Amino acid sequence: MSAPLSHEPPSRDSVTTIRSDGSRPFVYPADAHGRFATARQFSAYALIAFYLSLPWIKVNGYPAVFLDVANRRFHLFGITLAAQDLWLLFFVITGLGFSLFFITSLLGRIWCGWACPQTVFLDHVYRRIERWVEGDAVERRALQAAPMSANKFFKLTLKHGLYVLVSAIITHLFLAYYVSLPEVWGMVRAAPAEHWSAFAFIFVATFGLYFNFAWFREQLCIVICPYGRIQSALIDDHSLVIGYDATRGEPRGKVGTTGVGDCIACNRCVQVCPTGIDIRQGLQMECIGCTACIDACDDIMTKLKRPAGLIRYDSQKAFTGGRTRWLRPRTFLYGLLLLVGASVATWALSTVRPANFGVTRMTGGPYVIDAGSVRNQFLVRIVNKRNEPARFLVRLEDVPKTVRKIGFEEVLEVGPLGEVVQPLVLQQARGAYTGPFHFEVRVEDAAGRFHLERAVEFLGPEARLLREEEEEKHRHERERH
Amino acid sequence: MSTAIPPAPAPAGKKIVLEFNDQIVRQFLLATVLWGVVGMLVGVLIGTQLNFWQANFGLEWLTFGRLRPLHTNAVIFAFVGNMMFAGVYYSTQRLVKARLASNFLSQLHFWGWQAIIVAAAITLPLGFSRGKEYAELIWPINIAVALIWVVFGVNFFWTLARRREPSLYVAIWFYIATIVTVAMLYIVNHLSLPTSFTHSYPLFGGVQDALVQWWYGHNAVAFFLTTPILGIMYYFIPKAAERPVYSYRLSVIHFWSLVFVYIWAGPHHLLNTSLPNWLQNLGMTFSLMLWAPSWGGMLNGLLTLRGAWHKLRTDPVLKFMAVAVTFYGMATFEGPLLSIKSVNALAHYTDWIIGHVHAGALGWNGFMAAGMIYWMLPRLWNKPLYSVPLANLHFWIGTVGILLYVAAMWVSGITQGLMLNATTDHGTVLAYPNFLDTLNSIRPLMLMRVIGGGLYLAGFLVLVYNLWQTIRGAQPVNGTIEVFEDEPKLAATAPHLGLLDTFVSAPVIFSVLGAAFACLWMFTHDLVSILGLVAMLLCGVLAFAHWEARNKAWGSWYDRLLVNSLPFTILTFIAVAAGGLIQIIPTVAARHATKDDDRRQLPYTPLELAGRDIYVREGCYNCHSQMIRTLVPDVLRYGDYSRLSESRYDHPYQWGSKRTGPDLAREGGKYPNVWHVRHMEDPRSISIGSNMPGYPWLLAHDTDVAALPSKLSAQRTLGVPYPNWTPEQINARVMEQARAISTELRTAGAYVAPEKEIIALVAYLQVLGRSEPTAPATVAAK
Amino acid sequence: MKPVLPPTGEESLRPHSYDGIQEYDKRLPNWWLYTLYATIIFWVGYWSYYEWFGAGRTGPQVVNAAMASIEAERLASAPVDDSSLWKMSQNTAIVSAGKAVFDANCSACHLVSMRGKSESPVAIGPDLTDQKWVNGGRPTEVYNLITKGVLTKGMPTWGPVLGAKKISDVTAYVMSRHKEGDPILVETPPPTP
Repeated sequence: MSAPLSHEPPSRDSVTTIRSDGSRPFVYPADAHGRFATARQFSAYALIAFYLSLPWIKVNGYPAVFLDVANRRFHLFGITLAAQDLWLLFFVITGLGFSLFFITSLLGRIWCGWACPQTVFLDHVYRRIERWVEGDAVERRALQAAPMSANKFFKLTLKHGLYVLVSAIITHLFLAYYVSLPEVWGMVRAAPAEHWSAFAFIFVATFGLYFNFAWFREQLCIVICPYGRIQSALIDDHSLVIGYDATRGEPRGKVGTTGVGDCIACNRCVQVCPTGIDIRQGLQMECIGCTACIDACDDIMTKLKRPAGLIRYDSQKAFTGGRTRWLRPRTFLYGLLLLVGASVATWALSTVRPANFGVTRMTGGPYVIDAGSVRNQFLVRIVNKRNEPARFLVRLEDVPKTVRKIGFEEVLEVGPLGEVVQPLVLQQARGAYTGPFHFEVRVEDAAGRFHLERAVEFLGPEARLLREEEEEKHRHERERH
Repeated sequence: MSTAIPPAPAPAGKKIVLEFNDQIVRQFLLATVLWGVVGMLVGVLIGTQLNFWQANFGLEWLTFGRLRPLHTNAVIFAFVGNMMFAGVYYSTQRLVKARLASNFLSQLHFWGWQAIIVAAAITLPLGFSRGKEYAELIWPINIAVALIWVVFGVNFFWTLARRREPSLYVAIWFYIATIVTVAMLYIVNHLSLPTSFTHSYPLFGGVQDALVQWWYGHNAVAFFLTTPILGIMYYFIPKAAERPVYSYRLSVIHFWSLVFVYIWAGPHHLLNTSLPNWLQNLGMTFSLMLWAPSWGGMLNGLLTLRGAWHKLRTDPVLKFMAVAVTFYGMATFEGPLLSIKSVNALAHYTDWIIGHVHAGALGWNGFMAAGMIYWMLPRLWNKPLYSVPLANLHFWIGTVGILLYVAAMWVSGITQGLMLNATTDHGTVLAYPNFLDTLNSIRPLMLMRVIGGGLYLAGFLVLVYNLWQTIRGAQPVNGTIEVFEDEPKLAATAPHLGLLDTFVSAPVIFSVLGAAFACLWMFTHDLVSILGLVAMLLCGVLAFAHWEARNKAWGSWYDRLLVNSLPFTILTFIAVAAGGLIQIIPTVAARHATKDDDRRQLPYTPLELAGRDIYVREGCYNCHSQMIRTLVPDVLRYGDYSRLSESRYDHPYQWGSKRTGPDLAREGGKYPNVWHVRHMEDPRSISIGSNMPGYPWLLAHDTDVAALPSKLSAQRTLGVPYPNWTPEQINARVMEQARAISTELRTAGAYVAPEKEIIALVAYLQVLGRSEPTAPATVAAK
Repeated sequence: MKPVLPPTGEESLRPHSYDGIQEYDKRLPNWWLYTLYATIIFWVGYWSYYEWFGAGRTGPQVVNAAMASIEAERLASAPVDDSSLWKMSQNTAIVSAGKAVFDANCSACHLVSMRGKSESPVAIGPDLTDQKWVNGGRPTEVYNLITKGVLTKGMPTWGPVLGAKKISDVTAYVMSRHKEGDPILVETPPPTP
């Protein structure tokens, strides 16, 4: 059952997947079966189902996730956000980041092995296609080495055809996140020339996914991806990692030999490794925590009637005979930061109203002085983020009685997802004007559910100058009479 | 390429103990920490000011426009500068087995540099500024910087000359490139004509100034924030990991490609402007070519660390360095991406760029500094680090800080890109015509960035505490090694490489010919150009074939080059100088116009010039651009795109690199005078929700009219067509224009005396975008 | 767990050691090298495309063309010439669309009746129904005035806010209260005191 490796034996000095001439040995990992493989399979299918179903499920009349960039409306699980609310995305990114930090400090690179789309799609979609078409690792290598034949040609065509098909499906559904499914379907049926940028995106992204999953694979994790490295640096002695219990395993030796440890040097753990490392050399940069070596070793140990767990999830502390401490200062620090972040995010989300509102001055001068009055002109912009018409009450607070509000509608109706821009002109007679003053524009939901305010200043000339001007005019008139 | 250096004769003579000058390293290290705190504190303060304009406490010296240059200069030249000197001096002595050549020069270097920093910290808040990013310091300080840099260079090369280690390690290559290139960039970008002891005008103006500035600005990042730190990486990572460097050949490839390619990419800061197309294409394509060399460095560091990956769990030094290298990788991936014209169209002038820069500064520079400091501390004071858990705490807080900062800036940049470019009615009308709509939408993110930056600073303060507890009461100790007395002579007997052998060698000949043919192809036409392309490709193929066949010869030539520091330095200088010459000389020669230019700037009146100097003094360019790009959203929002000859008389150019506020290139005439006066006095009274600080003191201070005669005479020397006015004539012109504005303001209800600075500034703002039509010039820029 | 390390490949180390630092001479993946070659090929191709064949357009050419097509779009959605605007002022659909725009944006100063100061002395805007015009009374003049505004008098620049279509609608609505050939009395406004 022991298959020869497709690459040099792993060493600590160089990357297994880079040969000494720079070329890349393609890794043919053997199948690993066991409790982790099963658990990972279920979680992966659940994640894939989740990713792919989002554009199909409708909440409040819109897909669960519909990032409508063209119209600058973002529908997320029934909440609709406008471009002005895009800052909330910050909490999504940092929330993911924080969770990654927190989970990594406790459980190591669990993200890489269990949840990263690269691993999920590679292990549970593409490798499965490969396995189905070409057989197990030994057969795959044999097929690769064999001269071209009708059978080989057929298998390769089928495999790559399926790869491309799956890549295209993923790309189309990804596009649907941004333009919705009916739109994607419409584009699929129309000629490419009608929306060639979307067509180019699909074409390039499909090719990119195909290249990545068909050939590039672990190179992405080893060379490109920064998150794996950051996660490695976030691990400490008490974090869980996949490791080999050297105390129990060493020295390695055949079954029946005396004075040897539990490891029988069967190399099964190396054969199943998708990144081509030997886990017995310790924690390494390439390890994505896929658990294949655990399952492989447990399988052997069980057959030998030895306890499982020679390779297992455990902390550095525990591997060296200590005890894993789950509650460490770091756990509390991250826990606290996560709690603060979550509270701020919740509060921030609670400040998001189903409407946005802004006041800006109309272009031109800050104020207009005419024969009898001083006047300020504003534009009030109200954005309705609900999918139904809404009525708003606009009120002005702290405006002196001497100020006339002109063309000013107290009640504004805004259509579903619509925007209304409404002029607001304030006028004060010269005689009543005593200088600038502050006031507030307040927009209330007609049903009284929320209100929004903006502080605004009424501007005008220096009152002294205006008075002098008036006096001068009077003097002129007196002189004329 | 892996030929061994010919075995050197066995050293003979008496064994002596050589003591390194680690005193100077300790000094620079402490200065690094001190200025690091100051620079980051100023960063947090100005970040706060973006949210709470009141955070300048109503003092003109603490406004954003004056403190932002202080922040950038402090973190670049004070924090990273001192860190670089500490690392360079520590590693060089050990890598070449020689004590620093001169104690006096070392101390002069140290105290000179600190004096420069103090001078900067005083002059920048006072408003003494040259008005160019990261080159704001005034001319007397510029001269001091150049002199101290020369002191550094002399001390360094003198030490190399006395080395006992014949061959130069890769870290030394990077230090050499740094010293040579920074000197070249700094001097060229700081050429100025003084008008007084504190004020000068740059020699270049308009588009030339822009090109020189970004040739400098981009390569300040390359040769001040990158190459010396890469050198430091090549010393400290193998030391800390106790692992061999992953690849020597990669060091060679990535060093030469990095220093050669980096220098060309400067114009990517000016994409989508009306800069001649060939320069934009050069900037973009060379930026893309830069990706692989940059990643070569990252991978060499990372794969060196790989052998000690399990130590990442326990050793904070390795944690910091692993993450620093990772951030270097992310920033150098993002950089080429942002240099693609269409991506740049969205991202330029937005917070995305700020996020990009800080990923590099906080992640790469800051974390490399932390890793280096934690590694050096126990060795320089002969005492274990006070607390490893605290160092880990620093790391955790720091990473969280970077996460918050960068995430806030990305989201902010995306929001800005989305909103500022959004149109309705079939693309004919802007969806958010008022700039404030966008600004108000990103305000929460500005707050988040301060929290992120604050956390990063908090982490750094943990380092300060840890450092203090470590060195308190500790005995400083200098490193020593045993050497043979006559070893320097031995280094001198290493295989000599004369200048002839240096240049008449396959690698140099192929490189020079390849570059020459490439230029022939790029810059000539027709048959010559085709021949150039063919010759360039042929040269590449021949070089490759020659290398395949004779790689032992290439290897041994390079080994010989490595034991000869002068030829090495000359070749490095040639590699970095080529790109700059090719970009800048044609533009300087072609004067300011492109052939499509149909309008031309008019010289400023004396009052407008005085107003412009106020604009420069207050650092308005830190938030406002004066460059409408050749992009539809820009044109819809701000008016017709900016012609190059519309800033031909601008010494310094003020195109800007960030739009925290709107573009001002065509601000003139958009609003009445009284709008500007009220807006400068209290921006929020006009622009509801604005985060611009008020400038009430401009209504109180008088314009410096007395300085105008010498300023105008300097401008005339620089080629601005001013008549030879007497001071009285200048004064009369100033007063005439100022009174007219003052009178107009009075009818609009605002009383401002004509002497006040605000009058000059309004005069300048109202002239922005004024030009005279011309027949398209016959001289093309190319 | 002490990692079990295989013997390191000492033989592949370069002989030299600098302060104890040694160097391997390993290769990076070839695909990394190919990305460098690819960017070089891209440079040759991109440069040839723009500078050699002159196939690509410069920034000014692109933006001028784009602005021209935007202008064309504006003209198509809203023709700006007197006869078209007069014709539009006869079209009830356009006029009622224009009325909606007018009521929402203009009535603040010019009143819903469009009669401004003639109706109420405290109104801000002048009467738009009489034959006296301050800034010209031809439809195109009205259209341009709405687009650009009169900053000194407080008439804002509506172009960026409303866009060409709504402005031509509202112009049509204003002109529907006039007839082609009506006398136009251009009145200079009294000087601002």
